[in-house]
Amino acid sequence: MTAMTERVLDAVRKSVTVNASPEEAFTIFTEDFDSWWPRSHHIGKTPMTRGIIEGRRGGRCYTEHEDGSEADWGTVLAWDPPRLVLIAWRIAANWQFEPDLEKASEVEVRFTPVEDGVTRVDLEHRNFERMSSGAAEMRTGVGGEGGWGSILQLFAARVEDRTRRAAQ
Amino acid sequence: MSTYRERQLDALGDPTRRAILARLRRGPAPVGKLARDFPVSRPAISQHLRVLKEANLVTDRADGTKRVYELNPEAFASLREYFDEFWGVALIAFKKRVEHRNREER
Repeated sequence: MTAMTERVLDAVRKSVTVNASPEEAFTIFTEDFDSWWPRSHHIGKTPMTRGIIEGRRGGRCYTEHEDGSEADWGTVLAWDPPRLVLIAWRIAANWQFEPDLEKASEVEVRFTPVEDGVTRVDLEHRNFERMSSGAAEMRTGVGGEGGWGSILQLFAARVEDRTRRAAQ
Repeated sequence: MSTYRERQLDALGDPTRRAILARLRRGPAPVGKLARDFPVSRPAISQHLRVLKEANLVTDRADGTKRVYELNPEAFASLREYFDEFWGVALIAFKKRVEHRNREER
């Protein structure tokens, strides 16, 4: 366990191949985000009614809820249709909105044509270490957000093992 | 399972509890020692430990007259699985949506 504490946080990587052109896949992922995003995945206070990714650099990523509220979860950092979208994942370790962009992790989604009408979508969720108040504090343990940082380290190592095993 | 996870995430929502977990990562500790290490009262520490124990994040055992707490490694495996599943589930839903749309040709 001690060896793991010094480990650099690995990104989570997932890929899926879909029967669609990069343009179609990109549009469904972003503009039609609401049509596929699992309803269980949000940080609002009441059930989610709609999910939105605003299609431009600086665009908001948020969900709308039954009580009329909105819950932001990200900001578009790079918008390059139909090739790439990069989103700051503004959810802190305690599952609250992260107001400080510097402490947001990042989700990059790339769309690569494999053959005519087939696209590979590669998702990388990275920079988890930003979610804590810094690697130094993480190592000293007791200070600030260290606890969660350590958990993320353990988690990232495990995810990496699993994805390696599950790689098809 | 999801109840456990929710409870774990709630338990992790408190900075003192996260700090206690970080401390326990360095090794098991009795309540008294933890109370001395943190600027909160012993009853408060006990309360935090109870929440962590209910969330299955820590376990306790008797050591003479002391109660010693340690991290429960099993719990962290389940949290990691939660995050791993997160993108897995989302991308499968995305794929289904793309292919459903193709079939319907809306």
